[in-house]
Amino acid sequence: MAAAPAWGGGPLPVVTTTTDLKALVEAVGGDRVQVDALAPPLADPHAVEVKPGQLVKLKAAALLVRIGLDHEPWLTRVLRSVNDPRFAPGSPHSLDTAKRIQLLQAETPRVRSERGVHVHGFGNTHYWLDPENARPITAAILDALARLAPADRAHFEANRKRFLEQLDAALRRWSQAMAPYRSVRVVVVHETWPYFADRFGLTVVAAVEPTPGVPPSPAYLASLIQKMKEAGVKLLIAEPSANASVVSQVAARSGARVVTLIPSVGGDPEARDYLALFDLNIKRLTEALTAAR
Amino acid sequence: MGLALEFLWVPFLACLVLTGIHVYLGLHVLARGVIFVDLALAQVAALGITVAFLAGHSIQSDAAYWYALAFTVGGALLFSVSRMRRAPIPQEAIIGIVYAVSAAAAVLVVDRAPQGSEHIKQLLVGSILTVTPKEVGALAILYAVVGAIHWAVRRPVLQISFDPEAALREERWVRWWDFLFYASFGLVVTSSVRIAGVLLVFSYLIVPAAAGALLTSSVAGRLLLGWAFGFLVSVVGLTASYLWDLPTGAAVVTTFGASLGAVALGIGTRALVRQVRTRGVKALAGAGMVACLLVALAGGLLLVFPGMDHHWLNWIEEAAPTVELAFLTPRERDTYWESREAIGRGQAELQRLRGIQQEVQWGTRQMGQEQQERLRQFLASRGEISAGDRMVLRTLRGKARERQRYWLGIPLLAAGGLGALLLARARRRA
Repeated sequence: MAAAPAWGGGPLPVVTTTTDLKALVEAVGGDRVQVDALAPPLADPHAVEVKPGQLVKLKAAALLVRIGLDHEPWLTRVLRSVNDPRFAPGSPHSLDTAKRIQLLQAETPRVRSERGVHVHGFGNTHYWLDPENARPITAAILDALARLAPADRAHFEANRKRFLEQLDAALRRWSQAMAPYRSVRVVVVHETWPYFADRFGLTVVAAVEPTPGVPPSPAYLASLIQKMKEAGVKLLIAEPSANASVVSQVAARSGARVVTLIPSVGGDPEARDYLALFDLNIKRLTEALTAAR
Repeated sequence: MGLALEFLWVPFLACLVLTGIHVYLGLHVLARGVIFVDLALAQVAALGITVAFLAGHSIQSDAAYWYALAFTVGGALLFSVSRMRRAPIPQEAIIGIVYAVSAAAAVLVVDRAPQGSEHIKQLLVGSILTVTPKEVGALAILYAVVGAIHWAVRRPVLQISFDPEAALREERWVRWWDFLFYASFGLVVTSSVRIAGVLLVFSYLIVPAAAGALLTSSVAGRLLLGWAFGFLVSVVGLTASYLWDLPTGAAVVTTFGASLGAVALGIGTRALVRQVRTRGVKALAGAGMVACLLVALAGGLLLVFPGMDHHWLNWIEEAAPTVELAFLTPRERDTYWESREAIGRGQAELQRLRGIQQEVQWGTRQMGQEQQERLRQFLASRGEISAGDRMVLRTLRGKARERQRYWLGIPLLAAGGLGALLLARARRRA
């Protein structure tokens, strides 16, 4: 007889590393899952501190869903202290959603370190910010959930179908809103937005802070501002964690307009789920682009 | 680069303003032996802002500033009442406790409002490069007022810092003067940290005052020397940041460290020269022994662990490649020169092509989609080839080390050890 699942007959307990994955698991699992995210929405991935209650939840979880690559350096220690073989890579209880994603900025680490930029060794990790990537991510989530609760497979499939229909409608809406701004050049504060920019046709030409946490030098800022003026870059994309004084100085000197986009579900009260996150970002972006023209 | 200079004007003025007040307060802090009081008060202010944030005020708002100030005054009160004549615990312990507890309390508070944690962290980081003229002006006015108040009450406040026993005997208002000192100090630190960050504020406070204390004992002398030191370091640090393209705040703090090291070295050298004059060459025996032991250690490490990093040898080989080439076979030498040449060529080409790639991105050069993709792929593979060439050089260096371990390691170990032994014996005889 197969061992009875530890979670009994109630909703399947799932733990995700980020709030974005939590939103996507909820979209597929509906009322048959109980999801908790370990990291708060705007946390610096290098400074996440997990609380005892979360360790307890992780210990009791049937499934751990993570962004993968090197996005969660803090998770290794957490998993070591939970010490549960179920969450070993490749186990049905551990899901790395990066596996099915076409990654950007994935030059080999050696080449990248030679260029002086070594943030993401395996490729940029912010892939959830391309809404098209919600398809492979939710497909992976569906597989993982259905393997753990086979009786609910039809329920999960129906949920995902409904979610993808909403996503398709939203994508049409967003693409339409962004259509007039194809190939507009923008500068970002951090390299958080390559997937988002790729999807909506923006060209990211430079980052204000190529290495997060290391303030840019005067010469770098000066040449950046010079180039922004010459190329007529009118938009600077920041996130809430960006250093406000650096952002406002670059904007003031280059004449670009700042728009603060939210990188994660829950990072703003309006960004309460995955689709609302993009609704908010597209709204802010189009308003800023219209004003900057 | 003209624009970069333009960038550095306002930070330079900010540095001067910081020098003005912080050097003076630093004299007090150093004399009182409460070195980390600024970090503790900055942390208390950050806790105040965190609480303001939780109460629904934005971090940049006036309300948040008043919260920070109220918390700082509370901290000042605590520090002034915790000073006792025969204290069972040193005041530095209380400062440390206040620092740790307020930092931890801020974490607990911010845990309730996850969106704030990054902002709170930034309160303590600051960004001297992007300070605005308005901020510098406001700081200058505020610090002029604080400076004037300190000038007016300099007699009791200086006495409490520099001669606390006499002050406790003669002065009846010691706690009140202490409170005034800590409250004004907290106001200054809270305001400075917002624009310059804790590291820079700490350096401006302690390092010039320490340099002054190393060179003279009078308060006025220390103040003047400290101001000159702070001014000089600001100029050198900002220039370094401009010339070598370094993050500005970190460059200034490191310059502070290097300059204080230079002052200490100067004092040490002067003392040594004086000793040599009175006692002759024998005075150098101690330093010579240390040098010999270092040589022996370097040789010993090369002998036992040839594969570890021997930076001193790398530097020598960079300057004089013969030191490495002498340990390679003729064929290996050819490979060495070929790889170096290839790296040089590849580097130049990569730089040129990356420039083109940048121009295309910024729109100053036109290029078709397909050509852009080809350029990207070419750059990636060219980078790999250069990395390969570097690996060849590393392998050759490893081979050279295997031979150097005996031919260099043993002689260095022997010479250094023997030198140290002889010097030790000479010292004992003297």
